[in-house]
Amino acid sequence: MADAHAKPQHDYHIIDPSPWPFLASMGALIMAFGGVAWMQHLKGGSFPVFGYNMADANYWIFLIGLLIVLYTMFGWWSDTIKEGNEGHHTRVVSLHLRYGMIMFIASEVMFFVAWFWAFFDAALFPNEVHQVMRAEFTGGVWPPKGIEILDPFHLPLYNTIILLLSGTAVTWAHHALLHNDRKGLINGLALTVGLGILFSFVQAYEYIHAPFAFKDSIYGATFFMATGFHGFHVIVGTIFLLVCLFRAMAGGFTPKQHFGFEAAAWYWHFVDVVWLFLFTAIYIWGSVGGTIAAGH
Amino acid sequence: AQPTPWQATFQPAATGIMEQITWFERYTLWFIVPITLFVLFLLAYCIWRFRASANPVPSRTSHNTLIEVIWTVGPVVILLFLAIPSFQLLTAQYSPPEDAKLTIKATANQWNWDYEYQNAEPLSFNSAMLAEADRAAAGKEDKAAYPRLLAVDNEVVVPINTLVRVLVTASDVIHAFAMPAFGVKTDAVPGRINEIWFKAEKEGLYYGQCSELCGKDHAYMPIAIRVVSDAQYNTWLAAAKSDLPGANKALMAETDGAAKVAAAGN
Amino acid sequence: MAGAAAHDHHDHKPKGWVRWVYSTNHKDIGTLYLIFAIMAGCIGGFLSVMMRWELAEPGIQIFHGLASMVYGVEGDSAIDAGKSMFNAFTTAHGLVMIFFMVMPALIGGFANWMVPIMIGAPDMAFPRMNNISFWLLPPAFLLLILSAFMPSAPGAHGVGGGWTIYPPLSTSGQPGPAMDLAILSLHIAGASSILGAINFITTIFNMRAPGMTLHKMPLFAWSVLITAFLLLLSLPVLAGGITMLLTDRNFGTTFFAPEGGGDPILFQHLFWFFGHPEVYILILPGFGIVSHIVSTFSRKPIFGYLGMAYAMVAIGAVGFVVWAHHMYTTGLSLDTQRYFVFATMVIAVPTGVKIFSWIATMWGGSISMKTPMIWAIGFIFLFTVGGVTGVQLANAGLDRSLHDTYYVVAHFHYVLSLGAVFAIFAAWYYWFPKMTGYMYSAAIANTHFWVTFVGVNLIFFPQHFLGLAGMPRRYIDYPDAYAGWNAVSSYGSYISAIGVLIFLFGVFEAFSKKRVAGANPWGDGATTLEWQLPSPPPFHQWEQLPKIK
Ligand code: HEA
Ligand code: HEA
Ligand code: CUA
Ligand SMILES: [Cu+2]
Repeated sequence: MADAHAKPQHDYHIIDPSPWPFLASMGALIMAFGGVAWMQHLKGGSFPVFGYNMADANYWIFLIGLLIVLYTMFGWWSDTIKEGNEGHHTRVVSLHLRYGMIMFIASEVMFFVAWFWAFFDAALFPNEVHQVMRAEFTGGVWPPKGIEILDPFHLPLYNTIILLLSGTAVTWAHHALLHNDRKGLINGLALTVGLGILFSFVQAYEYIHAPFAFKDSIYGATFFMATGFHGFHVIVGTIFLLVCLFRAMAGGFTPKQHFGFEAAAWYWHFVDVVWLFLFTAIYIWGSVGGTIAAGH
Repeated sequence: AQPTPWQATFQPAATGIMEQITWFERYTLWFIVPITLFVLFLLAYCIWRFRASANPVPSRTSHNTLIEVIWTVGPVVILLFLAIPSFQLLTAQYSPPEDAKLTIKATANQWNWDYEYQNAEPLSFNSAMLAEADRAAAGKEDKAAYPRLLAVDNEVVVPINTLVRVLVTASDVIHAFAMPAFGVKTDAVPGRINEIWFKAEKEGLYYGQCSELCGKDHAYMPIAIRVVSDAQYNTWLAAAKSDLPGANKALMAETDGAAKVAAAGN
Repeated sequence: MAGAAAHDHHDHKPKGWVRWVYSTNHKDIGTLYLIFAIMAGCIGGFLSVMMRWELAEPGIQIFHGLASMVYGVEGDSAIDAGKSMFNAFTTAHGLVMIFFMVMPALIGGFANWMVPIMIGAPDMAFPRMNNISFWLLPPAFLLLILSAFMPSAPGAHGVGGGWTIYPPLSTSGQPGPAMDLAILSLHIAGASSILGAINFITTIFNMRAPGMTLHKMPLFAWSVLITAFLLLLSLPVLAGGITMLLTDRNFGTTFFAPEGGGDPILFQHLFWFFGHPEVYILILPGFGIVSHIVSTFSRKPIFGYLGMAYAMVAIGAVGFVVWAHHMYTTGLSLDTQRYFVFATMVIAVPTGVKIFSWIATMWGGSISMKTPMIWAIGFIFLFTVGGVTGVQLANAGLDRSLHDTYYVVAHFHYVLSLGAVFAIFAAWYYWFPKMTGYMYSAAIANTHFWVTFVGVNLIFFPQHFLGLAGMPRRYIDYPDAYAGWNAVSSYGSYISAIGVLIFLFGVFEAFSKKRVAGANPWGDGATTLEWQLPSPPPFHQWEQLPKIK
């Protein structure tokens, strides 16, 4: 090659060829393909490919794809951490990571916009004259007539407090890290993770005991999908924090360099804020005038 | 009305609204065609006048505040000229001049239409594309009047100069109720009722087609509306309640000329 | 594996398949994208020519035959299968052209190749993520192709819901796995684009060479920056909408099912909230490219640079608040329609600024009509034709008559097939010598232009007439009165297919003749940084960052 063999005169990170993107894509392909098979299986449909009914595979193909994806995520991020430890995460590269994370969160915000849109489309306009069937279904009110709902000031309120607490706990961990207080860091993180897990359990309990169904009603659809995607993000965020906890226990992170931790904290705050919107919009505002189910 | 070969404009208007739409379309052309030609002219002029051989030393100008203001304000003014009649047209489409005298509910199905005359004594029937095999039996052998893909078995019949309201909905997927000569089009959405109105000012047989993709036979669910005199409408309506095919044939005999229907072996 | 060779990676490029499959090099990934886009363009073009062949005459010509060939059905079921197959072709054609041809070509291909070079960066900010953006596309494409062979509605195969996949036709209307495959294909393609968008935004914000402020940045980089924001903020909403389709289809939710309190129109809002920004995603990179080409071949700096940049910002921003102009006939209230008419018309102003600034760039220049310039000027004119018919459609009162007719098809092909695609070919000829080091044959390239120019205009200009006369879109068969213009349109499509063949031959010819192009074949009008590098550029450029005064 023409250019000199000198060391590059810049602080960017030129990454070596990596198998992960390709592997992850193949995982995504298998997952999507398997997902279709699984969904057809659930519906009792068929998915004929080269004479085989893939629906018979149930969720197995999906699971294989998922495992590939999880494996590549593990490998990919391990590489990233390793590169960070090798000093490749110069100031500008850390800045990239920050920008990347902020942008990723921005796209997630827009994803939730879709679910809120669906909710408000129905909750704000349950009684439009020309939307005859909707008005008939809702009885012209929100929450729709005949649907018993959850008491927002019971479990949902507890969960709000749990999440807010976990938000402060992660901030505690961050401050501890900045002051190189390893114990505080680990305790703060452990508390955050604990609260995250607690939140998920409360949410699961609430789902199991919810007085309305997922199917056949716009109330159930908007409620479960919006809170469900939030719950999924809680789980992802918890795992993210858990990884940080393990890394912290293994001696990772320094007061100067700890972007992995910061990203997890940002993500956690984002999940927190989404919850506040869910809580005020869907649980509180969306329950005004509704019948609270007994025992909730 | 129906489309004609090599037609390059709207179908002739049969309602005041369609007249306005046609006018407005021509009006917009008075702006957009000159704009496009102006762009074409400037491009051609530059290519010719500033070709490298004719202008070997390029200028270095890259700013001229005045011209930039002009080509920002200019389009704004043009858009205002477009917007004013545009808003008038839009408002007119939503401002029926009087109360509807007749209300018809049109329900789209895959792949035909149900019509319900919401009179004191309701009349309802289904309307599907005329199958080629049924032409003779229906007395619709004249392809000029009953074109392939446009002709239906049972037309909607409405009186002339009467404000008709159509409530449009669907039973399965989204379709769209469109009648080009009337200047109306609205989606037929399951669970929703969309309202349109028209006041046809010319007698005749008008054709439209489903205008929202609705599956396999999307191209095969036409809409046909016959605009007739008050007297013809009343006779038809009275007869249609008991004998729709008979009423339709009788009406056709009057409008299309008795000869053809007789020839169809009635 | 990473880091093992960290110290000497710049010395030699990886060999064999590892170089391509495991790539972390923006130029190699860009090349992969371009190859992918060319293949997708040929497939999308094939689908459209089959559609035009079918529409060449009234009646059903070929699709019953095609259906019996592909799905092995006979007689009446072949006719039914053929009708559905036509819808599947229309749908696939739209999706392939938009998601797998234009976007990969402009963003994945040219932007990947040129943006880092033009802003003086050695690579993208996230080189490894760059590769997953590419490698997610073949799986997405594969799922879409697979869907064509899967059951959808009873007796039908393939997704026949149009590229807009409105429910209930895409939910209860097509229960088979075809639609699920297409939805997941869009999920994956969307993920690819979101990751790409994050990558571009980070790269452009953080990796500009010392001295290159945003206000000195080349317009192509500006256009890609804005495009990336549109992607980042609009695609997740589509993802939400199609996830709702998926759960309505498979898990019994009723987002779009009115009997459960849902609303089919909700999907259209979610779709077009993405869909309208999407059309600017398709065109903005082209705007950027045309600016450079016009400037290069006029040997003049871009006229009104800041106005050009901020016009694109304005187009992108306003593009987010006009979506319901696709929904004038759904039953929107009068006031809602008034608002969307107004907002939509506004976009003509910044777009006009761009058109006139390009002309002003040419004004007083020293113009040489090299192939890229011919395509760029073709773009300016034909895009204007499509743009002004868009302004007509913006008027709800007029769109009442034109919505879902071929007038709309004519409009969007003028901005896409004659806009975005012309920009792609302009970029191709502009940067081909840079990317490959070889010069194309100007004779072949210019023939390619003229054949395409005649072909596409012949296809799409008569479609305005069909639309005015009332011919609805997505029809396999039409009343006989529409035969004339349809025949013209179909002949045009055969000519543009020949154009594609000439293009492919030109590429082949250039690679076999190996005419060396040199670092800058375009002369002193070409001022952006890529022309300071050898052709093709080194595997890692700018190891010494360029300094911008
Ligand atoms: C590259 C893609 C692209 C671009 C750039 C545009 C640009 C525009 N589009 Fe288009 N559009 C599509 C792709 C695109 N569109 C597609 C794919 C569809 C159909 C989707 C489907 O249903 O499948 C569609 C449909 C569509 C509709 C819906 C029609 C219907 O379904 O009934 C409307 C309505 O408002 C519209 C309007 C506009 C407008 C106002 C612009 C403006 O941005 C145009 C601005 C440009 C100019 C105006 C020209 C240059 C300006 C000047 C020279 C200045 C002076 C001019 C004036 C003062 C007028 N478009
Ligand atoms: C970018 C988008 C794009 C492009 C390029 C085209 C190109 C063409 N399209 Fe279009 N079309 C759409 C987007 C596009 N189309 C969309 C969105 C729809 C709506 C779908 C729906 O209703 O759901 C549609 C619908 C549509 C219809 C209406 C179908 C119907 O309503 O039933 C028709 C009919 O004539 C048609 C024909 C054609 C033809 C003949 C071409 C010809 O121009 C094709 C010739 C091919 C080319 C000119 C492209 C060649 C490009 C390459 C080979 C890539 C090169 C790449 C590099 C250099 C990197 N298309
Ligand atoms: Cu009914 Cu299209
Ligand atoms: Cu739009």
